[in-house]
Amino acid sequence: MPARRLLREKPERLRQGVTCRAACTRFARHGMAQARTTTRGSEARIGSGARVRGRIHGDGDLVIEGNVDGDVALQGDLTIAEGASVSSEAIAARGVTVAGALEGDLTASGEVRIAASARVRGNIRGTPVVIEDGARFSGRLDCEFELPPELGGASRSEARGRAPARR
Amino acid sequence: MASTVIGTGITIEGEIATDEDLVVAGVVRGKVTAKEAVTIEHGATVEADVQGGSLSIGGSLTGNVVATDRVDLQSGARMIGNVKAARVTIADGAQFKGNVDMDV
Repeated sequence: MPARRLLREKPERLRQGVTCRAACTRFARHGMAQARTTTRGSEARIGSGARVRGRIHGDGDLVIEGNVDGDVALQGDLTIAEGASVSSEAIAARGVTVAGALEGDLTASGEVRIAASARVRGNIRGTPVVIEDGARFSGRLDCEFELPPELGGASRSEARGRAPARR
Repeated sequence: MASTVIGTGITIEGEIATDEDLVVAGVVRGKVTAKEAVTIEHGATVEADVQGGSLSIGGSLTGNVVATDRVDLQSGARMIGNVKAARVTIADGAQFKGNVDMDV
């Protein structure tokens, strides 16, 4: 049925069709946006020969292999590779992996992984926080985790611990 | 692969200095110093003075540019600023406002 006749005779059906198509377009756009975020994520990298002084922010992922002096705020994941050096007042990202040297406070909405090769000086907040054997860390750890029952960690929701600073 | 890539979702406000290649697809405000090739991709925005070996500009660049080798303004590029390089090309479809100095 041509659209004009449909509009005259059964406007409600056309409206339904339009709504459906709008929803489909929205869905398609959403899917595309997600795909784009994924590709853009792998594309941001500060190479080992690079030095950045200043603020870095954005919605993608970032890999730092070089030298960064300044604040970092990301919606995506941050990787500080082995050999990299980051000095910052504040770092905020989703998931953070540190294998290089980091000096400054780190806030992650997701997982923080301190690899064996890492040297970290500063406070870390994330859920969960993983510190691998061999990593050097000096600072405060603020994360939510389940305490064992003998320490009074009976209920999962109330369990909230704070690890003391360790080296 | 150890070059530096500023992806489309990333903004850097400050200074970038690198010995390697640099590709900008996102936003950079401040200053860029590179020894090798600098590529400013289509869709990228750079508001900075840029120094590099060779420069390929496809995006939007506001600032002065100095290259030891060459500067290529691609079609679709939009540049406001002065260019200093031994070799300069401006493609058909590129927008350019500024001075060119080839006397290096």
